[in-house]
Amino acid sequence: MVDAPSPSAGPAQLLDTAAGRRIVFVVGSGRSGTSTLSGSLQALGMHVPQPEVDADETNPKGFGEPQWVVDFHDELLRRANVAVSDARPSAWFEAGKLNNVEPVRRRLQEWMEQQFVEGGPELVVKDPRLAWFMGLWRGAALRCDAQPGYVTMLRPVTEVVGSKQRYYDARFGEVNRTAAWVNMMLHCERATRGFDRAFVRYHDLLDDWTVPVFGLGQRFDLDAVKSAAANDIRKVHAYIDPSLRRVRLTWDDLDVPKRLREIAQETWEALDQLPDDGGDTPEVRETLDQLREAYAEMYEEAAAISQSTALASRREGFGEGVRSTQKRGVERIPHWVRALVPGFLRRGARRAVGRERG
Amino acid sequence: MSPVRGADIPCLEQDPAYDVHWPWRDGPLSQGLTCVFRVKNEARNLPWVIPPMLEAVQHVVLVDNLSDDGTPDVAREAAASIGAADRLEVHSYPHRVSRAGTEHLATRHDSVHSLTHFYNWSFSHVRTAYSMKWDGDMVLTTEGVGVLRDLSWQLHDSGAIVAIPRHPLWIEPGGQVAWLDLGFKFLEPWVYPMGPEFTFVKAFEWEVREFPETSQRLIAPEGLCVELKWLDQDEFSHWSAMDFDESRAPRKRREWQVYSALKEGRGEEVQGLHRIEAPPGVHVIDYVTDTWLPHAERPLVRRGRRIES
Repeated sequence: MVDAPSPSAGPAQLLDTAAGRRIVFVVGSGRSGTSTLSGSLQALGMHVPQPEVDADETNPKGFGEPQWVVDFHDELLRRANVAVSDARPSAWFEAGKLNNVEPVRRRLQEWMEQQFVEGGPELVVKDPRLAWFMGLWRGAALRCDAQPGYVTMLRPVTEVVGSKQRYYDARFGEVNRTAAWVNMMLHCERATRGFDRAFVRYHDLLDDWTVPVFGLGQRFDLDAVKSAAANDIRKVHAYIDPSLRRVRLTWDDLDVPKRLREIAQETWEALDQLPDDGGDTPEVRETLDQLREAYAEMYEEAAAISQSTALASRREGFGEGVRSTQKRGVERIPHWVRALVPGFLRRGARRAVGRERG
Repeated sequence: MSPVRGADIPCLEQDPAYDVHWPWRDGPLSQGLTCVFRVKNEARNLPWVIPPMLEAVQHVVLVDNLSDDGTPDVAREAAASIGAADRLEVHSYPHRVSRAGTEHLATRHDSVHSLTHFYNWSFSHVRTAYSMKWDGDMVLTTEGVGVLRDLSWQLHDSGAIVAIPRHPLWIEPGGQVAWLDLGFKFLEPWVYPMGPEFTFVKAFEWEVREFPETSQRLIAPEGLCVELKWLDQDEFSHWSAMDFDESRAPRKRREWQVYSALKEGRGEEVQGLHRIEAPPGVHVIDYVTDTWLPHAERPLVRRGRRIES
């Protein structure tokens, strides 16, 4: 006869079966040092699933992002109609719904299992889109007997917004980027609450990476960090460039409405307490809960005020949609008839109507 | 609202302590999800049931209905053992409630003896924007804790309702062997917003919770919850008749078939029933919820075998 369990018997047993598999998720807003941390852990010996997204001028040292993960998230974001940088509080529900789709869960589980088999027992996965789907990743880790850990990178909102304005698509203005940062960071904190997590300031990482990275190794029991060889350490020193912090802005440099600015600043101040020893307290979490509610309320008001703009955009989009399905001029002529026209004449006709092919 | 007692649903017996006062009349509800248990003699199950639920949701309301096995104390101990005593609220409902089936049908909806009134009264203690009903024999798996924990903040003001499949787990005496019924998917909406459009009304065999037709409905994945059934006790004692109507109570019909087969040693003959044996020293409930189910091949229940309540 087996007695009734002590309530902690279940999780303890699960930890035993994890057999040393660890997966670290690096989350947080883009331009907050997520690539730097991911690359550092990789240099120390953790496996970043291959192939990775190619480096470019926005991130010359590379993104530390698996291409499969980026493609997978892009597909899910399209399905959920959520943007990578999305200011809507309701976007969390829309993205979260996919956590309930078993084929999606299974697909991720199969991919993750393969990465553990091919890449070893310690993985690091980073992508700015990852925060939207943390439930899916957690489920896959559970099924793969891997112990998940979450690292949220923190950087002052003004610097993040400034950096995004400099390096990313200029369609989104400072106001929307600030709102999206608030939405991302408040919910990112909420989504990792109660799980094995850590917060790292971007500035701390650049000032002396050994302190926060050593802490992660201890907290998540990462063999790659705990047993790093001198050469691995040198690699990280070579990888991290303190001049990475190229964008230094304050609120004086940004034109953001007062109320949003206040919520963003208070959010930053609350989040900034979390990396300190004993900083992840119920009081801080309570403050963040209140800020989340305040932000949702403000967003709802703003959406109500700008509803006419949203409706006009929808009408315009619908009009474009209808137009795009209607065949224009020459397209009404069957292809086989058009094919009878000699090539040089077709090209000349295209030039004449300004529709040359590139 | 009652002109006499100021209640939203005054009870037939005119006992003000058991009138229903809806919480949304006192102001906005806070964010989060509250799980409501209505229980009677669940002391045996609660050590498995309460801790994972408190890991998943913000609050638990447990309404005890005339237990004589120490159920409220066991619930408090289970919550305290994980440091969550402050998130458990225990109430007593000292009225005999009609059994599901013909007895329920014969009871007025606003009587303290009605399942409908019992549910409405129990849910009137919820102070969060979302609530869920849960039974005292249903155990969240490790995967279930994660999914429900996410939903507890993601649902927010979406207005969506969530159905969660459950899998009956028949436990043999000794706690090493159990039979998991994956022959049918038992699907019931459990998670709802709080508000006047989401209250309980009387149906033929039991109560049902109302919701607008426009509500978005989410179906959670399989493998999140098992329903404990002990083969050494009578699992059908709370029913007033054993003549289950196939069209209205297919779930009970299936349970009766499985129960009978297991009692007669014919478990292997039942399609979709899996015999699971835990490693030595591990209770089979823990083994199923923490290890067996997360690793089981999906889909757990093959297509076309779904039963919705």
